[in-house]
Amino acid sequence: MDLLLQTLLNGILIGGIIASFSIGFQLTFGVLHVIDFAVGAWVVLGGYLAYWMSTLLGVGGFVSLPVAFVVFGAIGYLIGPVIYRVRNSRYARPELMALALTFGLFTLLRGGALTLWGFNTRSVPTALSGESLMIGSVTVPLLRVVAFAFACAVAAALFLILYRTRYGLAIRATAENRHNAGLMGVDVQRLSANVYGLYAAVTGMAGVLMAAIYSVNPEIGLRYTLFAFFVAVLAGLGSVGGAILAALLFGIMESVVATYVGSSYSHLAIFATLYLVLLVSPRGILQRGL
Amino acid sequence: MVGRSGGVSRRNLIQYGALTIGAVAVGAPFMRTARAQASTFKVGVITSLSGENIFGGNLTRQGYDLWAEVMNEKGGVEVGGERFQIEMFYGDDQSNPATGADAAERLIVQEEVDVLFGPYTSGVTLAVQPICHKYGVPMISGSAESPNVWKAKPEFNFGMIPAVDTSSGKSVGVLADMSDPKARSIAVIGVNEPFSKETAEGFRAGAEDAGLEVLAYELVPSTADMTPTISKIAALNPDLVAVGGHEEALINVVKASKSLNFRPKGLIMHYGVTNPAFARELGADADGTSGIAVWLPSVPYEDEVFGTAKEYDERAHNRWGSHPDYTEAACSASGLVFADAAKRLGKKPPFSAEDKVALKDAIAETDITTFYGPVKFEKEGNHYHDNIQPVPVLIQIKDGVSVPVGPKDAAEAELTYPLPAWK
Repeated sequence: MDLLLQTLLNGILIGGIIASFSIGFQLTFGVLHVIDFAVGAWVVLGGYLAYWMSTLLGVGGFVSLPVAFVVFGAIGYLIGPVIYRVRNSRYARPELMALALTFGLFTLLRGGALTLWGFNTRSVPTALSGESLMIGSVTVPLLRVVAFAFACAVAAALFLILYRTRYGLAIRATAENRHNAGLMGVDVQRLSANVYGLYAAVTGMAGVLMAAIYSVNPEIGLRYTLFAFFVAVLAGLGSVGGAILAALLFGIMESVVATYVGSSYSHLAIFATLYLVLLVSPRGILQRGL
Repeated sequence: MVGRSGGVSRRNLIQYGALTIGAVAVGAPFMRTARAQASTFKVGVITSLSGENIFGGNLTRQGYDLWAEVMNEKGGVEVGGERFQIEMFYGDDQSNPATGADAAERLIVQEEVDVLFGPYTSGVTLAVQPICHKYGVPMISGSAESPNVWKAKPEFNFGMIPAVDTSSGKSVGVLADMSDPKARSIAVIGVNEPFSKETAEGFRAGAEDAGLEVLAYELVPSTADMTPTISKIAALNPDLVAVGGHEEALINVVKASKSLNFRPKGLIMHYGVTNPAFARELGADADGTSGIAVWLPSVPYEDEVFGTAKEYDERAHNRWGSHPDYTEAACSASGLVFADAAKRLGKKPPFSAEDKVALKDAIAETDITTFYGPVKFEKEGNHYHDNIQPVPVLIQIKDGVSVPVGPKDAAEAELTYPLPAWK
């Protein structure tokens, strides 16, 4: 029973970690209609920003979180219009052009990280690294709880913005039909830049937590891109609420299968589930995908 | 009208094109002759300069490059009283066996390398072996540790590091033997890729030979979160935990163990613990972790090129800013093996196809001592063409430094066992 509780807790926390960088990915798809392959690179760069701040300034990972928000928000705000322009260009198949652009961006950022920080695996210390809390016989790793709380906070903030503000209404209108939104007075290009900036900021912050919980090197970005894409497909592309549910499902399945069947079967089970969901419900588990 | 207004007409284009093709056709034999009179040895390196094994790939590159730089400083490789400089050519395998095979073919066919130095991973090494055999080009592998690399008896491939089945099993036996109170049980984790899996199998076989009860044997995907596996193992409460994997996975195992407040009495991991980056990134949490080394700067060997092992360590540190581990050292020693074989062969570069086959035979007869230790390749059995001369040493990280703790005749400090609880 103790192992079962620990297994479920591990799974929920893994789900929270994956959700932390998948939510922004979903939002970007919903508004810009771009599958952003650069998501893993933003996670990696967030980790390296925290590593730099830790080694150069001697500050812990948590101090890097607001810095990551500002730095990556600004970078995302600048890149957003470029992606918007490519996605809405009059060339043939702009969706594929945008896909190629984000893949190129991913490659560029990965190469940049390799040049700046080298090939070594790095780690970021925080005040909660390695700390845990015992509740009965279950060990609660506090840093992972922070990542889970971060994912929940980001999701809650996004829901508030999307459903309780006029700006959120404009975002939803743009997601639904950008031409009509434009006719209603929404500055679609600027809104897209803001959304991409918000996404990059949140994903960079998630990267800080990833580097603290695991580690960071220039090559792990592809893994995060794959996980975010998996969660997005399982959730239904563009569904922010579905992303949290899909990430939790991912985490719990990984944990349960690894513990009770065997670690080598965990990803097999996860991708088999994805296949089944695509067969039965192509718009994702909540049927809200695009 | 473009052609008449300052551009290039179709007729001119055809004329220029024909002239260019003609020049290349006429010049090609001379270009070939230029290579034929080359006064350098062309050395091709296939390794992981991108992809998930970029860390180890660059370690191998550093080792090979250091040898080339030092040899060139000394005038080059000596053949028949004359010295020839070394020119290095690189092929990035992108941590992918098929890409490695393509890179090897390019280096052999286009760059016309005289010899190949092998990849970081055993998986890529296995993919490159048939290419070496097809073109008859010898390859010296400074990194491959999987026993599978040698089981197929590769005629043109030679390995500097003893296969991991000879080292991981022995080392876990040494750890069990030195433990006090005696360890009775073990859990083994292996990352699910060829080398790490074979390391884990070596740990399991060594543990069974040492009379330990194997409570769990888990193969995990390289992308997996480690907490479920660690929780499962913690519930079984083994005395020892052994992990086969590379540096990133090892760092994540230690972090996951600490976050779940689980610390076994003894923890042994391979490969990556001996690299200073492991201790640097984990800080105090790395202390107490055991690993395997087939070379340390303290070994009592030397040669004419690098001097003593300690001098090699200082030179590598000055060049790359980090102390070398045994993989980097073995890669540098690969160059020494090539230089020795080329000298005995007595043929000047560039090597003809027959020369390359003769070079392979000369490498097979290697019997030298380098700063890395003795080098002599097996001529039969499951470790065919592998250098199993170096003796594995059990190391433990103490205050961030790898220190030999076993077997007793090689120990420089006492094994810390059982490990204290996490602070």
